[in-house]
Amino acid sequence: MSVYVTVGSTGFDALVRAACTREFLQALAGQGFRRLVVQCGHSIGLFKPPTTRSETFGIAIESFDYTSRPQRLVEQADLVVCHAGTGSILEALHSGTPAIVVVNRALMDDHQSEIARELAKDGFVVVAEPATLASAVSECAYAALRPYPAADPRPIGEIIDEETF
Amino acid sequence: MHAATDKTLCVVLGSGGHTAEMARLLQGVEFDRYTRRLYIVGEDDALSLDQIAAVEVRSSVYSGEYFVERVPRSREVGQSWASTPLSVARCLARTARVLLYHRPDVVLCNGPGNCVVVCVVALVPRILGLKRIPIIYVETFARVRTLSLSGKLLYPLADRFIVQWPQLLDRYPRAEYIPNLV
Repeated sequence: MSVYVTVGSTGFDALVRAACTREFLQALAGQGFRRLVVQCGHSIGLFKPPTTRSETFGIAIESFDYTSRPQRLVEQADLVVCHAGTGSILEALHSGTPAIVVVNRALMDDHQSEIARELAKDGFVVVAEPATLASAVSECAYAALRPYPAADPRPIGEIIDEETF
Repeated sequence: MHAATDKTLCVVLGSGGHTAEMARLLQGVEFDRYTRRLYIVGEDDALSLDQIAAVEVRSSVYSGEYFVERVPRSREVGQSWASTPLSVARCLARTARVLLYHRPDVVLCNGPGNCVVVCVVALVPRILGLKRIPIIYVETFARVRTLSLSGKLLYPLADRFIVQWPQLLDRYPRAEYIPNLV
């Protein structure tokens, strides 16, 4: 099983650091994950996973700055860990892959975590902070998430038609 | 064949997150009816052009054409307030020229900073009694309890104001709540 960690189009230092800790890798191994892929964005310099097999708990680790096909990697993974950006959250919700959304308390703008917490309340995602990421994996709440309803943007087309014609 | 429905849809795009969401919303719009699309993009937005191309590619064989116009920001973060009136004037002038040239029939936006200027300029023909250009505002999915600044400014001005979470209806009763748009 594989995990895909994504920070989106900028960077997320705290998440990238949390994604290479022994604690996190141990939690992943404990849940049966064998592969970790991390999209680091600007934070690529901070991704320094351990190199010995015992310290990585047998997990194969890959990382890169950016990808042109984020949707594909999200769909292929068995678990997604993403930042609380709307785009990443929507990709995760529609992919069918369970998601842990990581909020960034360092950003003073707390409306960022509004969407993550609301979706977590409704049972669609798990919400965590970088410091609690490993325990969010161990608790395995992501295995009991509800599937997210398919999108239907046609009402927008209808509203535009009503006003224009 | 399409003369009766040759409408120009003006879509305001901003940085990454807003554009990704707008691309999802546009899946619900029939491009055969809006045979000309005008995308107004902030000057520094490289990301949006790839996403516009992706949105446009899915259209059917005959679905007209699209244009992309860059507009400078009305003010940069940290810019001196003394120089702000000049940059706002530049932005207004450029926006007015773009709208005058393309003559959109409707404006759709979801909150990036430049959308307020576009909507204000689009209201001028209506105020002058020349043409009504309806403004459709869709607040971003990320806004659950509070409106964005653009949303607050455009709430009294938009013809249709759509929110994606019901909690917003308490404070903004004129809004329309539509779930599962994205």
